Amino acid sequence: MNSTQNGLHERLRGVFESAGYRRFKMSKFEEYDLYAKNKDFLVSENVLTFTDLDGRLMALKPDVTLSIVKNSRDSEGIEKVYYHENVYRASGGSLGFREISQAGLECIGEIDEYCVCEVLSLAAKSLMQIRPKYELDVSHLGILCELAERAGLDEAAKKEVLKLFGEKNTGELEKLLNGAEPEAARRLIRLSQMDHEAKVAADELREILEGYVSGDSLELFISTCRFLSEEFGGKVRVDFSAVGDVSYYSGIYFKGYVDGVPASVLSGGQYGGLMKKLKKPSRAIGFAIYLDLVDPLFELKNQNDADVLLIYSGSSAEEIRSAVKTLSEGGKSVLALPQAPKNMRFGGVYKLSGGELCREC
Amino acid sequence: MVNVALPKGRLGDNVYELFAKAGYRCPEIENPGRRLTFENPEAGIRYFWVKPSDVAIYVEKGAADIGVAGKDILLEYSPDVYELLDVGLGKCRMAVAAPKDFRDDPKKTLRVATKFPKIAKKYYSSVGRDIDIIKLNGSIELAPILGLSDVIVDIVETGATLRQNNLEVYETLFDISARLIANKASSRFKRDEITKIKTSLKEAGKL
Repeated sequence: MNSTQNGLHERLRGVFESAGYRRFKMSKFEEYDLYAKNKDFLVSENVLTFTDLDGRLMALKPDVTLSIVKNSRDSEGIEKVYYHENVYRASGGSLGFREISQAGLECIGEIDEYCVCEVLSLAAKSLMQIRPKYELDVSHLGILCELAERAGLDEAAKKEVLKLFGEKNTGELEKLLNGAEPEAARRLIRLSQMDHEAKVAADELREILEGYVSGDSLELFISTCRFLSEEFGGKVRVDFSAVGDVSYYSGIYFKGYVDGVPASVLSGGQYGGLMKKLKKPSRAIGFAIYLDLVDPLFELKNQNDADVLLIYSGSSAEEIRSAVKTLSEGGKSVLALPQAPKNMRFGGVYKLSGGELCREC
Repeated sequence: MVNVALPKGRLGDNVYELFAKAGYRCPEIENPGRRLTFENPEAGIRYFWVKPSDVAIYVEKGAADIGVAGKDILLEYSPDVYELLDVGLGKCRMAVAAPKDFRDDPKKTLRVATKFPKIAKKYYSSVGRDIDIIKLNGSIELAPILGLSDVIVDIVETGATLRQNNLEVYETLFDISARLIANKASSRFKRDEITKIKTSLKEAGKL
């Protein structure tokens, strides 16, 4: 990790701590049982395992939220924690396991409207730390599922609807809804096309959803959008193409994008489904930032491997040490070698021959 | 500037014609020479040709903001992209084809040769049929002729190649056409440009 990447991680920590979130530090390992029982909630089913000295089957953490939720207290109150951890997953096209750096936060307990707004606001502030050009897209999976049920769709069709929402695939959605309850289907199609700044979304949300989904969920969603638009203006949008796994997420869901990264770098939401599965009585919301996608933005370009290369020949160790001392004045890094290395870049190259130091052009 | 990945070949030529008709003509592309990318700064567009099966990868990874890919490729590789429009070109179908005298024996594992293992697997698991997939990269029709497979799952346009090889469509799985796809981040940071292209293509192609 270089200094600018480290700087970003520090700034993100600053964002989380500014809202009083405390760091949750966890072990790299967790009993495999936790993941075996909750495979559905993992990004990839593959988990790196090993047998501990006491015979227990352990796993290198493929996920952070599961561990945090498992260790959360069931007592009254609200827990606000953040993390910066590595997870180990078989991922994408890499054809193997990868160590992935993740930062994020979880708010668990008797969470209220303010907690939800605060988490979304911290998500937007985190994106802002990555790039000034960013966008946070917010949707509500509870509302979307409720409307799909009103259209009379079975579980398989509901799953397909979510996929098509995620693809903004209106054409296929129209075909799929052919035969569904027409008014609910029409409203679903309109919802799939919604992509508005949060501040102007309220009227359309009411127009599409009023009378078709729970009034409380709708009003809470609208009020959250209003809260966010007051703070972040057009950077927060209502876009129902932000969809996640409905067995995990049950309410507000969001995804964040920054200019320069082709995929979403942040995602999160209210994960009521997971809490229920883990038999936790409380509610929860959180998000993760995929630092492996973000860090390349901060890679230093054209950086030298060392400020100075010193190539020596026919010189004593004392003479080399003296030359290194001279060249490293002002805090410069000096690589001293008898021959110039291949495929390395230096700010300047010096030669020390028979105790005589000269700069190479 | 919006970067567009076009599929090489006849489909790509037709897709470019549709873009040109929609107001995104690029004179450079009509006299290509040895160039690999072609741009029209006035129209704010840059084209490049890629292998049809690679279009979705270019778009997903953000090397292209938008592209046009066949539905077969999108179903096989499930790229994380937006599917904005059916451009109505490259129409064909995905089908199971077999020798004319083929009879499916449910007691036996069915040997299926295909370029599209994911699509084949999904279809046969939906009908509860036990299969053995033989992944090939070309000349799929040869597999049942030489006894390598019982059937094939492949794209059928007119059916002429099948007929010439004494094969016939056993079952049609779904219709295929070319789709306008977009990168998810580009759809945000180049929202107006991409929306305009989609609308113009829709009008030009009367879609």
